[in-house]
Amino acid sequence: MDVGLLMLAGGIAAGAFGSILGLGGGLLIVPLLTLAFGLPLREAVGVSLVCVIVTSSASAGVYLQRKQANLRLGMVLELFTATGAIIGGAIAFLIDERLLAGLFAILLVYVAATMLGGLRRRVTAEPATDDETPPHAHAVGEGVERDDRAYLSGRMPVAAVGSVGAGIASALLGIGGGLIKVPLMHLVLGVPLRIATATSNLMIGITASASAIVYLVRGGIDAYVAGPTAIGVFVGATVGSRLGHRIGQRQLRVAFVLVLLYTAVEMARRALAIG
Amino acid sequence: MDRGAADLEPALARVLQAGTYVSITLVAVGTVLLIAGGISPLAGGPALHIERVLSDVAEGRPEGFLWLGILGICVTPALRVAGALVGFWRRGERDMVAVALLILAVVAAGVATGLLAG
Repeated sequence: MDVGLLMLAGGIAAGAFGSILGLGGGLLIVPLLTLAFGLPLREAVGVSLVCVIVTSSASAGVYLQRKQANLRLGMVLELFTATGAIIGGAIAFLIDERLLAGLFAILLVYVAATMLGGLRRRVTAEPATDDETPPHAHAVGEGVERDDRAYLSGRMPVAAVGSVGAGIASALLGIGGGLIKVPLMHLVLGVPLRIATATSNLMIGITASASAIVYLVRGGIDAYVAGPTAIGVFVGATVGSRLGHRIGQRQLRVAFVLVLLYTAVEMARRALAIG
Repeated sequence: MDRGAADLEPALARVLQAGTYVSITLVAVGTVLLIAGGISPLAGGPALHIERVLSDVAEGRPEGFLWLGILGICVTPALRVAGALVGFWRRGERDMVAVALLILAVVAAGVATGLLAG
């Protein structure tokens, strides 16, 4: 089969899985391109960033229209994520690819552990819904969902530092950084989970864009690889968002945790230069 | 949510959606040309030469469409920030105008950093 078609198919699978499980495609694209197609890790990260921007921009548009994303909070925080992304983009070209592979393996194990934790919570019937009351909701009072500025509180310095970290992680690993931004907004600023997710999605675009531009200018993006992969991810994410609610999440999550762990082992082998 | 944001958000959503769909269409055309031409993506794509992109598009080369689409994808979020800047300026929200300007300055710094290092 043609390599371009295989990349397209791989992108569709990564986009669909990412969308159905609520993870960004970046987590899957980098291992796909490095382990299945033999691309250098840094090139895979550059392509992944392009794919992340595509899915983020498309869904952020919908979130803005539905007024689920908090525009002002998102813009204040993305100033810091973009700064982190520039720093991460510069660091990415200085450090050894094996270190990047090691960091990616740690990220995969973290996500797998988080997903396993989520599965256990569901089994014991603990509430873990989007409507979960945020820990600091009392600090901002009622009606916070209608006031864009309600979350710009005294805890903002902590959120700013965390956002810089999210930007660095995004640029180094080719991910959107939602794994850091959503908990940060929810736990530190008291933003309800649903709004935090939508706002994070809005921020991912400019975060990934800031680092993708560094990769682009430094020749770190291969247009021939980015084309079929980005189209595949876009199609997969669109299909996944429409089919997600019809698919049994539990079995899918269990299978996905196994895939993540296998991928983490392969990345760790690469980091240690084994095999 | 106040009225200013309510007016602004649908406009910014349109910027994001238009930018994404135009860019992804260009990338799709480039990908079709790439696959139809029997070019392996693993052959190593040509480097970006901004000055050649439009002429490559005019000549129907896959790299022209791919690079134009990729540039569009990368620029779309910054266009959303620029749109927000204009919207906040009209609403008289100077603090948010400053935030938008700083974000665009950071993105510009990224371009400068890449050019200097590359």
